[in-house]
Amino acid sequence: MNVDKRKQLNGYHVVFLVQNVMIGTGMLSLPQDLSSMGYSLALYPLLFGVVASLNLWPMIWINSQYKNEDVFGINEKLLGKWIGKSINLFIVLHLTFFIAGIIDDYMNLIQTTALPEQSTTIPILFFLLVAIYIVSGGIKSIARFCIMAFFLTMPLLYFLRWAIEKGDISHLFPIFNFNGSQALEAFRKGYLSILGYELIMVYFPYIANQKKAYKHALIGVWISIVLCFIVTAVSVMYYSEWQLEHVTYSVLHLFKAGELTYIERIDIIGITIWVFLVLTTITGYLWCAKKGIDSFRSKNKASHVYVITIAIYLIVLMPLSKEVKEKLFEVAFHTSYFMLCWPILLIVIHLLRKKQVQT
Amino acid sequence: MNGKLILLIMAMMGLTGCADKELKVPLEDVGLLGILAFDYIDEDSYKLSAAMPQFLPEAKENTQIFSVTTDFVSKGIVEIETVSDKKVVLNQLRVVVFNEEFARNGNVQKVIRHLYRNAEVGNKVLVAIVKENGEEILKENYPDKPSINLYLNDLLQPSINTAFMPNTNIHDFVYTQTNPVFDTIVPLLEKKEGKIEIDGVALFKEDNMIKELLPREGLIIQALLGEKNLAPLNLTLDKREEKEELMIDLIKNKVKMKSNKSIESPKLFINMKMEGTLIEYKGYREDELTTLASITKLENDISEQIEKDIKEFLEDLKELKVDPVGLTENFRMHYRGNWDREMTEEIISKLEVDIQVTTRINSTGTLD
Repeated sequence: MNVDKRKQLNGYHVVFLVQNVMIGTGMLSLPQDLSSMGYSLALYPLLFGVVASLNLWPMIWINSQYKNEDVFGINEKLLGKWIGKSINLFIVLHLTFFIAGIIDDYMNLIQTTALPEQSTTIPILFFLLVAIYIVSGGIKSIARFCIMAFFLTMPLLYFLRWAIEKGDISHLFPIFNFNGSQALEAFRKGYLSILGYELIMVYFPYIANQKKAYKHALIGVWISIVLCFIVTAVSVMYYSEWQLEHVTYSVLHLFKAGELTYIERIDIIGITIWVFLVLTTITGYLWCAKKGIDSFRSKNKASHVYVITIAIYLIVLMPLSKEVKEKLFEVAFHTSYFMLCWPILLIVIHLLRKKQVQT
Repeated sequence: MNGKLILLIMAMMGLTGCADKELKVPLEDVGLLGILAFDYIDEDSYKLSAAMPQFLPEAKENTQIFSVTTDFVSKGIVEIETVSDKKVVLNQLRVVVFNEEFARNGNVQKVIRHLYRNAEVGNKVLVAIVKENGEEILKENYPDKPSINLYLNDLLQPSINTAFMPNTNIHDFVYTQTNPVFDTIVPLLEKKEGKIEIDGVALFKEDNMIKELLPREGLIIQALLGEKNLAPLNLTLDKREEKEELMIDLIKNKVKMKSNKSIESPKLFINMKMEGTLIEYKGYREDELTTLASITKLENDISEQIEKDIKEFLEDLKELKVDPVGLTENFRMHYRGNWDREMTEEIISKLEVDIQVTTRINSTGTLD
């Protein structure tokens, strides 16, 4: 493939790709996930930001050693063909279940709020078709869609106004009022909400200015973190501790506080516009899963997207009990930690093998 | 590639017409409940009454009222559906009323939580307590009002002259019930001949109502909460031999609270600044109130009176060990660890308050 043709992502694309893939359904329930910390959860996303910034560095570093390879290619180079391929297959499986989990989560929300008397089979189908359409345009079209989604969804922040007016800022104090086990519990449950930046390992070869990639990715990460912080801070102001723990979709109820004379239910508007944020997340992951299959079969074929999409559709519609499904998705979400630590392992192997070559 | 995909999507969109029609109820067959009223029967069951607007011109009454006995909100709604000609939904619910007996003995929180959980129900559903019977309030004839749905909702909306009452929606209710530093307050209604009157404020302690507060006490709570738009203040100064009565329209109200951060010997400093127009005065000073000096004197007297009133009210709260203002929040925000209900009660029973009120009268009208 022509190398120049692949370098299609400029700085803005990277910023918004990182930023928008991070925000999906996780943010809707972020305050609840962190609720073990009580009121002190407001500042917790900032810690996530620090961890994510540190975590991002090994990803960029290992990728900049292999400028034209994505993580799947690096796996094969460093671990050999067989181990590398099986790990790649595992990652693809993980991504597939991960996407299915996100869709299931969002469709549950839509079911309970916007479409209470309708099954979601057909909405899921249309949702996936739109995702395929965006993905087939390549990573650049996803990045552009991310930029569009960002500017379309930002006005939603205005709807938090009433919650801020009603809220009590004294809830934020005392600031560090938690113990270690509470913090760990919150970290375990909440960190999944800000996943998405790890995909840079896959689209890194497409970035035009790779030297500045870390900087651009960091900007993206911190935009997301600030948004998360706004959501958690407003939630803390508006809710009591009991509500933080028990209200499932906190953001939904924040929108419900709205008082416009001509719109009664702002929450429904908010939740349906949220589809853009979920779409960007899904398309980002879908494209990466497709790249995984591409490298697994050493062929670049459009049909790979369809295979994954059909798999996702079947997983979401699987006639399993809700409990089994939830467990399955939870496993998929938790394997993401493996993805986060993977580049560190790659760096170790990279350094070891370099020495092997030298001696 | 894209062209093929678009073609596929369009073909599939066309095909959805062939799918089984989803059973959607047409709008004219949907019954939008506007008010739910709960009347206490015994511990397990209550009477659920609902008001639904009737828009058909053939009907004599413009509101349909249904009553069923039930132990479950949703069960009651289903039962209402069996006697109604429409599909009953809660999307346009505006007001929930409980009778006083229910508020004192029943599980109000369970009912409210059910509505709070329901995504169909908006958050702006207002809560009120009614003396005696909720069903009767719905069934009463209000000849000069369009319908009970609109009347009750508009009545409970905050306006300047009824600002003594807390405008409590279901979020506020759940919030104050679950927040250990707050006790819930809800407006209290009473049925009069052909009208409904906001009679005072129902004060809750934990899950149940314990006391009825006067509008005046409700106003003090709103003032301490730092509410900007307050009802006109009616004061009786009885410091001197002769009684004076006056009315102030409040324009500005600013409250600052500071605690000494001590759990053992809690002390709270409250600084309150009020600004307003003297609209009516009756007393011996009537002819003197033309100079600035005399007005300043009156201002000081008013401040003292308000301080006294607030102190008296806080003494009452101390005895009851309730905190509708959230005064203890000033201690919680400096306390590390878990704050619970017992600590709030402990603080409020030991609380010492140092209150300072500054009143300013901006004008006395255009007559000298």
